[in-house]
Amino acid sequence: MRFGIFFEMSVPRPFTPQAEAAVFHNALAQARLVDELGFDWVWAVEHHFLEEYSHCSAPEVVLAAVAAQTQRVRIGHGAVVCVPEINHPIRVAERAATLDIISNGRLEVGTARSSTWTELGGFNVDPDTTKKTWDEFVRVLPRMWTQEHVEWDGYCFSMPERSVLPKPLQQPHPPLWVTVTSPGTELDAADRGLGCLGVASTGYQEQERRTTEYYRRIEQCEPVGAVVTREVTTLNFLYCHEDPATAARRGMAMMGHFGLTNAHLLWTREAYPTRAYTSLSNIDPGGRSTGSRPDPHGVPESVCIGDPDRICEVLRRWESQGLSGINFLLNAGEVLSQQEVLDSLRLFATEVLPRFGEHSVTLGVAG
Amino acid sequence: MLSGTASLADLLVGAATMPDLATAPEELGEVELLKVVTETRFAHRTAALPSGLHPTNPPTAILHVWKVESSPWGPFSLAETRVGCRSGTRPRGLVLGCVVDGPDAAVAALRARWGFPARPGRVTLRRTYDGVTATVAVEGAEVCAVHAVDPDPIDGSDLAWTTTLTLAHTPRGPRLVQVEVEHRVARAERVQARIDRFDGDAWGHPALVPAHVVSSAVTVGAAVLPSLRFVARPEELAFTGTEPADAPAAPHADPPAARPAAD
Repeated sequence: MRFGIFFEMSVPRPFTPQAEAAVFHNALAQARLVDELGFDWVWAVEHHFLEEYSHCSAPEVVLAAVAAQTQRVRIGHGAVVCVPEINHPIRVAERAATLDIISNGRLEVGTARSSTWTELGGFNVDPDTTKKTWDEFVRVLPRMWTQEHVEWDGYCFSMPERSVLPKPLQQPHPPLWVTVTSPGTELDAADRGLGCLGVASTGYQEQERRTTEYYRRIEQCEPVGAVVTREVTTLNFLYCHEDPATAARRGMAMMGHFGLTNAHLLWTREAYPTRAYTSLSNIDPGGRSTGSRPDPHGVPESVCIGDPDRICEVLRRWESQGLSGINFLLNAGEVLSQQEVLDSLRLFATEVLPRFGEHSVTLGVAG
Repeated sequence: MLSGTASLADLLVGAATMPDLATAPEELGEVELLKVVTETRFAHRTAALPSGLHPTNPPTAILHVWKVESSPWGPFSLAETRVGCRSGTRPRGLVLGCVVDGPDAAVAALRARWGFPARPGRVTLRRTYDGVTATVAVEGAEVCAVHAVDPDPIDGSDLAWTTTLTLAHTPRGPRLVQVEVEHRVARAERVQARIDRFDGDAWGHPALVPAHVVSSAVTVGAAVLPSLRFVARPEELAFTGTEPADAPAAPHADPPAARPAAD
């Protein structure tokens, strides 16, 4: 079982340059700490226009800073929006390869197509086309990274023969993932040999069904790249505190803020009738809304909020569903203070992490 | 996070009075419906919502124009403008204006049983092989005109229907009334709509300005106006302000100033 952190860069109102900057600098300090503590991934999302919920519109810049300030944690570009109106595929390949070099070969590349009308509408994207463009991106990116010269004549873009430079440090290329929000995307991931970067949790039982099917199908995949990424992760909240009541009170406040700001986005399906988006696709870390029973402090049974023992129990349940990793949201709207977040990470690293395989904990002074 | 900033008194102008919340469902047959989703201006996104509701990002308005051939009150047409919003985390559309072209009994029932701020007017919905035209007029003045072309068949299940909220005087005081209309779609077409006229003032708020059409669709089928399950205090967040429609009177009363005279 591996562990990562997941940055949305959620900024509280009122928006001021100082408040916005604090969120980014706090995140960098968190990245430095988890690098020392033995976490496996630092992921940063790509979102546009999502006031309060996510101000992380240039993750490649954030991750370049993370790469420069860390030594060993892997750098998760999660996920690049694979829609040509938002990112040209050549630029995605160039930026990712550069980030892989800057991070000394620590890059993981997530792919996505955006779930909100807020974003798709802002870039004047036709929602009917995003699944097709995503598919084309994941097929052409590996070629751009591995072939000396590439030409492409596709559905969403074409290019004459060119050398896309630089090439990634990792050979043949960095691992490729897809963000799974809509049901069924995990099958798209498996069929293409991509890692399954889950963000819309479904609760334990449904996760087990999907994970089993993913691992079954990926054995017969036709890989779009030169490597197959056999990984299924999910997204959860993390707030770890010695006192279960304090953990619940503070962690649930953070979780509630996340849920509200997430719900206030305009989901594509709500605004635009299309077969390409079959669910409202709200992301649901930890499956908090799947009807799971809450613990005595009111925390949904599948959410990683609590004292170390409770979080261990929750993680064991998730691990038993076949997951290879869990990524954690640490804060939302700065509901938790930076000190609370860092203390939570340190407690998790000393009390929980050692119970899940080898994770080198080197408590230092970061943050 | 943002919440509505509209004055409740302003929003209650023209609001319906519901004598009770024990509404029985009614089936509507041979229903044609034009649905147009538009973005509205960010500058006014909280201006048309009470403090218990939150705007969406981006802010939206949804226009529904109904042509109903079969109902307990006879044929009628209806046009409603709704502001896209959230009640807590749940998607909702708050009805700001509602014009009904049909028998007085239809207007009265829509007001008394589901809290629609219905008022009489002229509503037309005309479908042709290549499009649809809708117009709405009140007291002789056209307040809305929409023309849509290029019908493209889609599956009815591809359409998402956001639950309606009306704001009405109820025996418990002003309440947001949750109207979960059931749409039984037999045929659906996506169309390309253009709004030729829209008078925000006439629809309940001057800030209600359609700025960009997101999508539009025409459906044919039936619908059920439901019995009521929930109401909510308009100036309280949904987590504490939501009440079962069949609950006894709420434990804490509204401040007297917020109570309508009819109560």
